Amino acid sequence: MIQPQTHLNVADNSGARELMCIRIIGASNRRYAHIGDVIVAVIKEAVPNMPLERSEVVRAVIVRTCKELKRDNGMIIRYDDNAAVVIDQEGNPKGTRIFGAIARELRELNFTKIVSLAPEVL
Amino acid sequence: MWSVLKSRSFSSSPATQQWKLGLSMLNRSLSFSSSATSEGADEGIRSGELLKLEEVETILRDVKADNVKVFPIPKHCDFADFMVVATGRSAWHVRNISQALIYKVKQKQKGSKRMLLPSVEGQEAGNWIVIDSGKVVIHALDEKVRAYYNLEKLWSTYASNQDHSVGQGQDLDKAFVKVRPKNNSKKRPSTTV
Repeated sequence: MIQPQTHLNVADNSGARELMCIRIIGASNRRYAHIGDVIVAVIKEAVPNMPLERSEVVRAVIVRTCKELKRDNGMIIRYDDNAAVVIDQEGNPKGTRIFGAIARELRELNFTKIVSLAPEVL
Repeated sequence: MWSVLKSRSFSSSPATQQWKLGLSMLNRSLSFSSSATSEGADEGIRSGELLKLEEVETILRDVKADNVKVFPIPKHCDFADFMVVATGRSAWHVRNISQALIYKVKQKQKGSKRMLLPSVEGQEAGNWIVIDSGKVVIHALDEKVRAYYNLEKLWSTYASNQDHSVGQGQDLDKAFVKVRPKNNSKKRPSTTV
């Protein structure tokens, strides 16, 4: 459950370290975003000497949420943190590597690029 | 694996191309009923395998994709069986590679009432196109993008971690041999002194 003002960790090596959600893309009056949703976020903290800087507005895909994700087969997945991957307008990830486990729902939502960079798929 | 595949008929408008999760069950039941009527190639399609690895390789050879590499996907992230990486010379060529693969899928399912098409990502930009045909995931990339993301390194380290106990000495010998990437390009390399 990501809403505007939620802080998220960054799960890639794009250079951002912490994001804050400012808008959820999709419907006009959507309250919460879940795994696989695209958000507009602002960079609150960045790694020095990297292309992305603090207070830059970027798009990101949510890859991990504390709020549990339910599957049809009864499996429930819950992570310890909220994390997102920075993407550009075309959907290409800004970073080249992704850290941590990724849910396979992302593949069904047409984020195969992110899935193929991930070290582990749940 | 079914849910990955986009199912739509030829006549459908691009608006319906935007595929929603909720429809997956409906599509599934429909495609089952249609594929039951025809046989042969449908065996693979029914099991979620739109393209076989050999077919992908012949197509990539036909469209002259450079530097084709196949990686088996390790157990701990088994979202597919194989990953194929190919380089195109330009955005046009990369798009052509993806079009050729989609054409092959369509040819295979010719005559059936409802077609299953692979999900294609990045068709507009044309520097990195991923075709997700169930068991085989095909990446067609630009040269620059391929160097940037370096998928080979990522996936080959996984593969070597998996079976590093077997023949490590041979691998070490091979590691020092310089291998040039194959380049089918007719373009002359720019001669800058």
